[in-house]
Amino acid sequence: MSPKPIRAKNARTIAIQLDHRAASCPEGVTVLRAAELNGVFIPSLCSHKDLSPFGGCRLCMVEIDGMRGYPLACSTVVQDGMSVLTETTAIREMRRDILELMLSEHPSSCLICTEQAECRENQYTIRKSGVSTGCRTCPKDGQCELQSLVEKLGVSEIRHPVYYRGYEAEHDDPFFDRDYNLCILCGRCVRMCQEVRGASVLAFMNRGPKTQIGPAFGRSHVEAGCEFCGACVSVCPTGALVDKASKWDGKPDGAEISTCPFCALGCQVELHHKNGRLSKVHPHLDHEINDGQLCVRGRFCLPETTHHHERARKPVLKRGRYFREVDWPEALEDVASRLRGLEAGDFLMLISPDLTNESLYTAQKFVRSVLRTNSIDSTARWALPGGTGVWSRLFSLPISIEALAHADAIIAVGLDSRFYFSVAGVQIRRALREGAVLVTIDSRDSNLARVADHWLRSAPGMEGRVLRAMVERLFSGDAGAAPHAAAGCGIEEVSLAKAVRSIASCRSLAVVVSPSAFAVDPGGELAEALFRLEGREQTTFLPLMHGTNTRGALELGALGELLPGFEKADDAARVSLADVLEGRARPKVLYLVGEAPFFERPPCEYVIAQDIYLPPFEVDAFLPAASFVEAEGTLTNVEGRVQRSAAVEHLPDGARTGRVRPDWMIFSMLAETLSADGLHFANAGEVLCEISRRVAGFPASGDRRPRRTSPTVDILPRGAGAHPPADSARRLIAEPGGFRHRGIDLSHVVEGLSELRLEEGLRLHPDDLEELGVKDGDRIVVHVDGMNVTGTARADADCAPRSVTVHRPHAYGGLAHRQGLQCLYRFDGRLLNVTVSGHRNS
Amino acid sequence: MSLAALRADFEGFEGTPADLIPVLQRIQVLHGFISKDSVHLISRWLKISENEIYGVATFFAQFRFKRPGDHVIKVCLGTACHVRGGEQILDVFRRRLGIQPGEATPDGMYQLERVACLGCCALAPVLSLDDKVHGQTSVLQVRDLLGGREPSEDS
Ligand code: SF4
Ligand code: SF4
Ligand code: SF4
Ligand code: FES
Ligand code: FES
Repeated sequence: MSPKPIRAKNARTIAIQLDHRAASCPEGVTVLRAAELNGVFIPSLCSHKDLSPFGGCRLCMVEIDGMRGYPLACSTVVQDGMSVLTETTAIREMRRDILELMLSEHPSSCLICTEQAECRENQYTIRKSGVSTGCRTCPKDGQCELQSLVEKLGVSEIRHPVYYRGYEAEHDDPFFDRDYNLCILCGRCVRMCQEVRGASVLAFMNRGPKTQIGPAFGRSHVEAGCEFCGACVSVCPTGALVDKASKWDGKPDGAEISTCPFCALGCQVELHHKNGRLSKVHPHLDHEINDGQLCVRGRFCLPETTHHHERARKPVLKRGRYFREVDWPEALEDVASRLRGLEAGDFLMLISPDLTNESLYTAQKFVRSVLRTNSIDSTARWALPGGTGVWSRLFSLPISIEALAHADAIIAVGLDSRFYFSVAGVQIRRALREGAVLVTIDSRDSNLARVADHWLRSAPGMEGRVLRAMVERLFSGDAGAAPHAAAGCGIEEVSLAKAVRSIASCRSLAVVVSPSAFAVDPGGELAEALFRLEGREQTTFLPLMHGTNTRGALELGALGELLPGFEKADDAARVSLADVLEGRARPKVLYLVGEAPFFERPPCEYVIAQDIYLPPFEVDAFLPAASFVEAEGTLTNVEGRVQRSAAVEHLPDGARTGRVRPDWMIFSMLAETLSADGLHFANAGEVLCEISRRVAGFPASGDRRPRRTSPTVDILPRGAGAHPPADSARRLIAEPGGFRHRGIDLSHVVEGLSELRLEEGLRLHPDDLEELGVKDGDRIVVHVDGMNVTGTARADADCAPRSVTVHRPHAYGGLAHRQGLQCLYRFDGRLLNVTVSGHRNS
Repeated sequence: MSLAALRADFEGFEGTPADLIPVLQRIQVLHGFISKDSVHLISRWLKISENEIYGVATFFAQFRFKRPGDHVIKVCLGTACHVRGGEQILDVFRRRLGIQPGEATPDGMYQLERVACLGCCALAPVLSLDDKVHGQTSVLQVRDLLGGREPSEDS
């Protein structure tokens, strides 16, 4: 990890002396940082660049002219002309002493063993022991900061009585294991969880020799509300906290910088690989987006998603009643024979917004130039409520993730950043630490509402109207109270006025709106409020949507009515996803590219699936696509940055490794089989070049600056606005679920996610459950619009009172427990009154 | 208890994180211990996570998180009592009640505590049941004190 430049504004450079040599550093940094900037090594174990100084390990002690004793480099600020000695005989002795003390409570047999070197050479299998008794049986062997300090400082004996704490290792929570016998109580994890993440799951418990780290009342991490962001694991200097999945992989061979394939923030990640395989993912210190932070999906879910045993890696054709693995030429010929001579209306391609720009562009080009139709559609549409027109205009606003961290005031609408868009939440916290004002507008409780200065708890679906009311008042002062009163939104006039007053005087403002809020705002009031705010100075936006590359899909023509670059397409005989779902059209050939928005095989003659997993229903041809670590490409994030997705697994074709191909290449091969021109690309880079020629402003390579689109598409008429709920009934909130990638539900392939049960069941407030006389896990019946839907009740204290929340997945693969809820999904966006009756499980 | 009820107990407090320790002390005085529910409510009120509250509270020996038993048994292990067999007396209680010092029996009847000196060393070994001090105790006396209560199963 390379040191990151200090972001302090206009820091003056000052001159200091380090070990009698002249050096310089910016004003205001710590002695430790100054030494690091000048290439002088000071041992340290508890300090970390993102965390407040702790002064716990005392290894960083130095001597400073004119100061008594041994000040700590990590918590002493440099002064002009300061003279520092980083290593004297006395300091060296004391540091060794400190390490010895630490080791006396740390399983350290290997550190002081005289046969160390031989052992490292020869003893491999001992790693499999469940408990670490020394470095050779520790998952951090070779990557441990304590180990490397001991080696550097040359500690080879322990002159104190040795003590083993005898704690039981904690393996019960998903994603990472904890063995506090290895903990040196440096407190990095605690500060990370409290200061940076704001989750505050970890704290020091008890005191003296019994001091331990963990949640309250001995709870598990799941019970304590852990986000499983892995930030604590990443900063732990020892083997106390380690990833479960890559625990025994050992030191990785190398790392590639890439983009997280799971959401539109586009966090920068480091893909650590070992023996040609993805081992684990760490956050990259890219200060423009995620600055060393990730969420549970980016941090822990990549390896399982690409390595899962259900991955389908070979082309398959249906032959009569059987399925046969075939090679590419045979598969291509079969598919091509069905694509020849189709009439308009006979074909539809559905393509996932999680694909790379290259694949999306090639797909639409294949459909348009080879098959000569505009019948291409995507569930990206479902991620863009309000319509493509509204979103093309939203993307023309100044969108910024980083600006959240520097804003004086932030309005967050409907965002709970624990599991979705975590990095935005981290940036908001950063701003709060600098004194920013936070207003949340949300019918539900959220991790942000808990720290907000003002939480405007609207009725479900009324968030848009509240934001509009706020905006009106921001522009016109209290005089503007009349046009959009808060009445009917469930907000008291005084709270609204207070919130407006607290941000009115702030210079910079950032507004972030979550997909859940957009999803229940069919009237488009949120977007309207954002457009109105565009006129305000120093205002940035973050309109969020699900789908990794939804913005790319919109920009590159994956929605039939728009050509690449937002040009209007010809509408004649175009088939859309809605046509198929509502039975208006029945194309002969359906080509599913990374999409499976059906529970059953759709009624088409020939169904092609191209994905990394088999869909949950029978298809006639399956074409195996390469996953995010198997092919190069670029992804467009919500800000319009075109960012590289790197390939770290280059698998040769084979019986075990299969024959996967990047999606764009499959289209290119198909075009060749159909003897069509214009789709010969040697690599992903060539596709990107063509995109940049075709779409104004699209970079050809290596430029990941944010872009604003120029809104050229008309905004379509809006639907009716939401109505305040009727008193007697509950509201149904069918909000989009975010844990998907291509055609699969991540909760299905990633075991840890399924343990968290985040998007399962019908969620109600515990008080509501009590009123209904049912318990978490009981079956309840929801009566809505003349239908009865049975599902499992889940208690969720964050839910709005008197509402029922259901997560509406965009990908249905493998979701047995959701099938019964299927008919609720069509209420996307509309709020409905429901009545609920429950019965206990007997 | 609800957040409103909690607040009623704490009129005069501003509800800032700095109030945490006085709030915890007051709860302990009012209820005799700090329950999970009160930690939850304090967490929402002062905007400090339950885990942090617990961490702070466990730093001080004075706070307890379990409902105390109705009758408190204090066994003295001060120097004099230690010398004259206080440890054995404590052991008998441990086994008969099936709990450790600092804990209460599951039925909430007895609370077992270990103390340093009850100030009547001449009577060692000493124990107290509620406010009554018993001197020169013996293992046999313990059974009488517990009034025929059967030994706990897991002893
Ligand atoms: S994973 Fe994240 S939320 Fe959970 S304990 Fe670690 S830092 Fe805290
Ligand atoms: S678990 Fe790791 S990071 Fe946390 S205090 Fe222990 S050694 Fe430090
Ligand atoms: S916030 Fe989004 S981009 Fe970042 S790690 Fe999570 S899923 Fe990936
Ligand atoms: S790094 Fe300074 S005390 Fe630990
Ligand atoms: S030592 Fe037990 S009463 Fe003093």
